[in-house]
Parts: sequence; C-alpha cells; structure tokens
Amino acid sequence: MKQVALPYQEHEHKGLLKALKLQRMASFSKGMLFLLPSIILFSVFLFYPLGRTLYLSFFLTNSSGQTTVFVGLENYMNIFNSPIFLKSLQSTLLFVLYTVPGTILVSLFLAIIANEKLKGVGLFRTMYASTMGISTAAASVFWLFLFHPSIGWLNQLLKLLGADAIGWLTNPDWALFSVSIATIWMNSGFTFLILLGGLQSIDQYLYESANIDGAGYFYKLRRITLPMLSPTLFFVITVSFINAFQTFGQIDMLTRGGPQNETNLIVYSIYQDAFMNYQFGTASAQAMILFFIILILTLIQFKLGERKVHYQ
Amino acid sequence: MKKIAVILFGLFILLVGCQTNDSPETSEEAAAEESTPEEVESEPNEPVEVVFWHAMGGALQEALDQIVDQYNASQDAVVVTADYQGTYDEALTKFNTIAGTDSAPTMMQVFEIGTKSMINSGGIEPIQTFVDAEGYDMSQLEENIINYYQLDDTFYSMPFNSSTPVMYYNKDAFDAAGLDADTPPATYQEVEAASKQITESNPEMKGFALQAYGWLYEQLLANQGALLMNNDNGRSDTPTEVGFTEEEGKSVFEWVERMINDDTFANYGTNGDNMIAGFFAEDVAMFIASSANVRNVVDSAPFEVGVGFLPYPEDKDREGVVIGGASLWMMNGKPEEEQLAAWDFMKYLQTPEIQGAWHASTGYFAINPAAYEQPIVLETYEQIPQLQVTVEQLQSTVSSFATQGALMDMIPEGRRITETALETVYNGGDVDTAYQSVVDQINAAIEQANRARGE
Repeated sequence: MKQVALPYQEHEHKGLLKALKLQRMASFSKGMLFLLPSIILFSVFLFYPLGRTLYLSFFLTNSSGQTTVFVGLENYMNIFNSPIFLKSLQSTLLFVLYTVPGTILVSLFLAIIANEKLKGVGLFRTMYASTMGISTAAASVFWLFLFHPSIGWLNQLLKLLGADAIGWLTNPDWALFSVSIATIWMNSGFTFLILLGGLQSIDQYLYESANIDGAGYFYKLRRITLPMLSPTLFFVITVSFINAFQTFGQIDMLTRGGPQNETNLIVYSIYQDAFMNYQFGTASAQAMILFFIILILTLIQFKLGERKVHYQ
Repeated sequence: MKKIAVILFGLFILLVGCQTNDSPETSEEAAAEESTPEEVESEPNEPVEVVFWHAMGGALQEALDQIVDQYNASQDAVVVTADYQGTYDEALTKFNTIAGTDSAPTMMQVFEIGTKSMINSGGIEPIQTFVDAEGYDMSQLEENIINYYQLDDTFYSMPFNSSTPVMYYNKDAFDAAGLDADTPPATYQEVEAASKQITESNPEMKGFALQAYGWLYEQLLANQGALLMNNDNGRSDTPTEVGFTEEEGKSVFEWVERMINDDTFANYGTNGDNMIAGFFAEDVAMFIASSANVRNVVDSAPFEVGVGFLPYPEDKDREGVVIGGASLWMMNGKPEEEQLAAWDFMKYLQTPEIQGAWHASTGYFAINPAAYEQPIVLETYEQIPQLQVTVEQLQSTVSSFATQGALMDMIPEGRRITETALETVYNGGDVDTAYQSVVDQINAAIEQANRARGE
C-alpha cells in the first residue's frame, strides 16, 4: 500500500511492478515450500495412483496387471451395460442411505444422553465409544455368529418369540439390511466420540442464559445444541458418507458380495474384478466412477452444508 | 473450520503412516532374500533356505507344518520355511503382483484352476526340467492326478494335495427316518426322496444342503460327463465358450428347485462353515463338500457320519469327479541350488510315508497309491472307514475330458458367476433366467480373457 502512495513516474512504476512480482514470487515459493511435504505425500500416495488408475481404465490387462490391449472407453461402456455394476451402484446408494443417517442418529442420541452430568456416566461413555476399538474383522466375526442361520443368537431369539427364522445374510431381501446394522454398530463408536467432543465444547453460558429465559429441554436442544454442534455434525456426515462409499471389510467377511450380488458394494466389486478376476482395466474404470461420485457428493455437501453450518 | 482441518490432518497422517509402513517391510524381505544366495555361496555348510508359500489354514496348516518340521529335522542341507498366504485366491493374487521379482517364493502351492494362469505368468519353471534331469518316475503317482496335471506331455507343477467332493450324511437321521444308513442315495432323484423322508420324520431337519460354490457345480457337471468349456475343456485348444449343453447345465438348478419346492432344501448361501455348523447342529441331514473335511467332520460330529459318492442325474451314467486341490510350483529366476533344494522337498512330499500321514490326518487323498499300504493309513481306516470313500470315488472315475477338468485362466471368475446364479435359484429365482445369465456371463468372460491376452 505504501508504494502506491509514492509519486508517479514511468520508470519507477516499471521497477515497482518488478519488485511486486519478485515479492509475489518469493511469497509463492515460500508457500510452496510449506506445502511441499503434503504435495509430495499426496503425489506419491494419491495423485500418482489416480493417474495410473485412469491410464489402466483404458486398457485390458494380463493377470499381473500389465496392460495388453488398448480399448479406449470400452471398459466404461461395458460396466455401464453390466447388470452387476448397475446393481452394485444401486446397492451402494442404498447402503449409504441406510448407514449414514442410521449411524448419525444413533450416535447423536447416545452422545446427547451421555453428555448429561450424572454419576457413573463415564462408564457409559466408554461403553458407547468402545466399538471404535474393535477391528472390522473382529466385529464381523462377532456379527457372523449373531447372524448364523440356525445357531445364531438372533434366530434363536426369534424362535423363542415363536417367529420364523430369517436368513440374515443369505436372504437377498435381508442381507444388505443386516450388513448395514452391523456397520452402524461398528461406526457408531467413532461418530459418538466426535459428537460427544463437539457437545462438550459448547459454551455453558448459552445454556445458562437460556435457562434464565425459561427455555425447555427440547427447545434448548433444537436452538442451541444442534446449531452449535453443526460444524462437528458436518464433519461427521462428510466422513461417514465417504466411509460408507468405501466400505469393504465387513462385506468381505460377512457376505463376500452375495447373495445374488445384493451386497456387492462398489469397492468390493472393484476388489473382485481386480484381484480375483484380474480385470484391472474394468476395475480401474469402476474406481474412476466411484471417485467422481464421491467428488460430486462432497462438493454438493460443501455447497449446501456450509450455508447451514454455524461456526462460532 | 480450524478444528476440522486439524482432525483431517490427523487422519491424513494416520493414513500415510499406514501406507508407508508397508514399504520398509517389503524391502526388508527383499533384502533378506537377496542375501540368502550370497550366504550360501560363501559358506557351503550353511543350509539352503526354501521359502514355501501355501494356502492351508486351520487344521490343515497344522498338518502341513508338522510335515515341514519333520523334513527340516530329517536333513541339514535344506531349511523349508512355510508361509501361510491366505486362501488360494489371495495367495495367487499376491504371487501375481511379485512374479519374477526377488520377493517371489522358491515354491508355491496353487489351486488347480490357477494352473493356466501360472503358466501364463512367466514366473515359473516347469518341474518337467527336474524330472528329466533326474529321470524321476512320475508314473508312480495316481493316474487320475497325472491326467490333470500333465499338459502336452509336460508336468508344469508337482501335484500335492488333492481332494474330490463327497456327500456327507447323518446316519442317525437316516435310521430315524427309516432309511438304510449304509447305502447313501446315489442319484439326484434318490437324494430328493431321502430328503422328503427325513423331513417327514423330523420337521426340524432339512434334507439336503448344497453350498453355492462354483467348484461343486463344476463337479456335478463332470459327474454327468459334461464339459465345462468347449474345445475339450480347453485341453485341445483355448476355449471360446461354455462346453455344457442346456440340459446338462440346467440339471443342477432344476434339482435344487425341486427340493426347494418340496421344502427339503437348506440354504446356507456361499458359506461352507455355516453349512457344516448346521450339519453338526442337526439342522440338515446331507451336504456336499470337499473330502478334505472328512477327518474334521467325522471327528467333530456328535452323531454317526456317513460319506457317499457325489450324486448324478438318474438318466445319466456316473462319469466321476475332477481332481480338486492344489499343486506345487517352482519359480524361475532363483539360484539353482535353491531350486534343487525345493525339488528335494517336493520329492519328499511324494514319498508313501508322508502321503500316508497327510491322507490320514486330513482327508486329502494320497497321490502316491503306495501310501495306502502304509500302517498309519490302515490303522486310520479301521477307526475312520469314511476316508476310503474318497479314494474309491477317485479310482472309479472314468478318464475323459470331462473328468480331466477344464483349463482356462478365467475359471475363478466363472465360479463367482455360477455362485450368484445358484443363490438366485436358492432364493426362488427363475431357473431359465438364472441359467441363461450363467451362460451369457461366462461366455463374455471367456471372450474378454482371450482378448486380454493380446494374442
């Protein structure tokens, strides 16, 4: 700003522009220097694989993943004509629809009740967060026992109640639902913890003044807690969305994509095509589609979400 | 926003941490392997290390480890390190990513349908090389096994563990239903009738379960003399489409559909462990599974277990079964002494003593028929006569293209296609549509695989 105030002269102006340019360059390279570590890490672990995936998606490959025949967009056309891929897209969307709201509602409820200052509430907090400490594999094995068609506890319970047994993981009408339940259970620990953290950082004076005004519990929940929690909720929703799209472990353990491809979520379908069928081209094409879906959804979320999010 | 940034950054670090963890490990491994041959050269007394990748989990792994320990203790020149690499599918995937590099093992166990894929990988040394160099007599091995693994008069791999599918049944339930527990049903129609009788006598119990497993579908086809792929199951030329007729291909689906209509069929989907657990819990009276389970099932079931041959359609003749299981592959690009050490271990595994012990402790049959004379086998037969069924079934198999089994690199994919169709039928889907989708999808997969080879 100071320089602009100097008396105007042609040659000085030129020198000024140069100096400004140099300054800008210096600050740009300084900025780049700070960004360098993350740029390198991103390039090695994200951008290069992304480029490689795009490249592979235009080829057929042999079993060790080397490209053999260039086919252009054929892989993309094939997957969009394949009933299996369309089914897998549909299942993935349904799965996201079941698990994201499910996880968030369950953990929000748990976080709100665990946020009350009661004796021994620490025990419950630990309990609700504990699923975070259980690996997907261990949790899946545990649910596998619950879901077992004849000796599983869930069906034993149904039997006691006099109801018919349900093929939790073998009946195509139930399988996706069952996997979703298991997933909600597995993810609720992490979401609970983040939401509880968010709740605890809300200033108490807001509640105090609301109390003075004579606000009721649900009024405070709606007008103070939820708006103040919105940044945390926004983060949790975004992360849950992406997680749900990338679900793999429990599918591999519980159903292996079956029955009838009902739980063949897109990442599992990519895995099957690449590492079991050795069709790296088709798998890469699917991965690119998944990338764009997540990219678009995240952009939409940021556009819509940021308007509603209330930052302190 | 800052908070989010911090959290995201934290997650990112975590992620990168996980990713970078892998690389030092692999480079260490590579370094370890690189150094092995040097050590061997400098100190001739140092034993040669043979890295052996296998896919035997659980009880089978224990049995295999025992054999490896025994071998290592029996001599000083070679040390075999057996590494469990997950299921057959997983192990093959791992191998494919490192084929031809220093990280590759010296020898590896690969399932029978990976045969073509291994040959195409270019990372292997056909064992015919060693057979010729030494004049090793392969004809001492079981004839049906030789039929499968000999391609154009060349042995690419050494047969090791072979099994066939057999039908397990609950003898007590057969008695209770008034069936003859000593003669298991032999045809599809007999299985249906027996299932009905069992369900009538005990409404809590279903008659029959068929795991939705592509391997079983292939076996049920072969047992009625049907080819899986054309061009003689891929043995005279690369297959271009499926080899079974509509009648043959549909027979299995229709068989299951009839039992579903009778309400005598138990659906365990693709999960074999659930099926066996259901059998133990007396929820189902008969099921088909690999003979490698015989020892485990007979030992663990709380009732008397019978084992019978694989059923076939009434109007056909029994053709027999295809060899299932796996063989051992030698990798190329390894120092010769390491290969020779691995070859020595392969020969050790073929000896009647080892094959006898392996057969008795698992249910895989002995690929060296001399093993059946071993005292350990004869003793075990007295306790568990069911083990003999698998041997009898194999020996009564008619040698034909159907029972030699299909050779094609996309068979694993074909299996998954079949499994989906089987599940569709199990859940009340239409047989004609399910069958047509199998044919269409397998044909498309064959075409894709042939194109991808770029020939």
